Amino acid sequence: MTGLISTNAFWTIWLFVHLILAVGLLGALTHQAMAVALPARQAAGGIVTRFRAVPAAGYATAVCVLWVLTFLVGSFIYTKYRIYIRIPIEAAHDYKTGGFFDFKEHVTTLGLMLLPAYWYFWKNAQNPDYDNARKGVTLVLAVMCWFVFIVGHVLNNTRGFAS
Amino acid sequence: MSMTTTGTSSTARSTSSLAASSKFKTFATTFSISGPVIYCVVQYFNWPLVTFHPATNRLVWGYEAARSGEGPNMLWYGWTLTAILIAAAVGIIAMMLPERITRKIPLALVWVFPILAIPYVIYSLMPWWTLAAKQ
Repeated sequence: MTGLISTNAFWTIWLFVHLILAVGLLGALTHQAMAVALPARQAAGGIVTRFRAVPAAGYATAVCVLWVLTFLVGSFIYTKYRIYIRIPIEAAHDYKTGGFFDFKEHVTTLGLMLLPAYWYFWKNAQNPDYDNARKGVTLVLAVMCWFVFIVGHVLNNTRGFAS
Repeated sequence: MSMTTTGTSSTARSTSSLAASSKFKTFATTFSISGPVIYCVVQYFNWPLVTFHPATNRLVWGYEAARSGEGPNMLWYGWTLTAILIAAAVGIIAMMLPERITRKIPLALVWVFPILAIPYVIYSLMPWWTLAAKQ
């Protein structure tokens, strides 16, 4: 890697960037999902109430940007995953892990497809016609995000950083 | 203590002309409704826009099988691109329809279709599960 950093360090840094973006996305979507599923009637209260009492509409653009960035960085890392991670996983007969990673890639694409409607519904949060659709799409995206995050985490434990 | 509704922020206002546009609403909802279905169809029929060969960094149009001695091929990029392009085309076509028709599109489909797509996705990964079951 041009002498500055090793190839391993280069890809590890990108994997770390992917992780940081994913954590931001997970936090934003979880706040938003909690806010739509269990809306808080007052801002003050315990930590759970405060967690639900965020101005959820303000997260919409950030969630879209973070989903796209996480997706793009993940897609970039994926080229190395296919050679240096998946082949050893197959050789080790860790088929469930490999299968769940492929499941994750499909789920991220399905989530990507939802972003335009998700953004529109949130940017029109004052319109009650979109309340159910906004709630549904936000919860689906949050569940997807948790799923892909956990699969990514398990995969990283199997063969990730510095592999 | 005064009772204020937080969370869904009922007082939030549309901040851009895009968010106020009914044409964009039609595009966005049609794209998001059709996208998951199109992705499943594209994957089922294997219509990648491009195929990437990571061992040789070779990108080719359409589908190309893995070549001997050149490592595996990657189709997911191609499936995603094909699905995005087709869903965008469907969205653009929907924008041309009269509003009395597009108004009738059930918005719940935006979150129902991706849920319905999951069983198909799990089924499409059967080779992995079959190998795992043989362990």
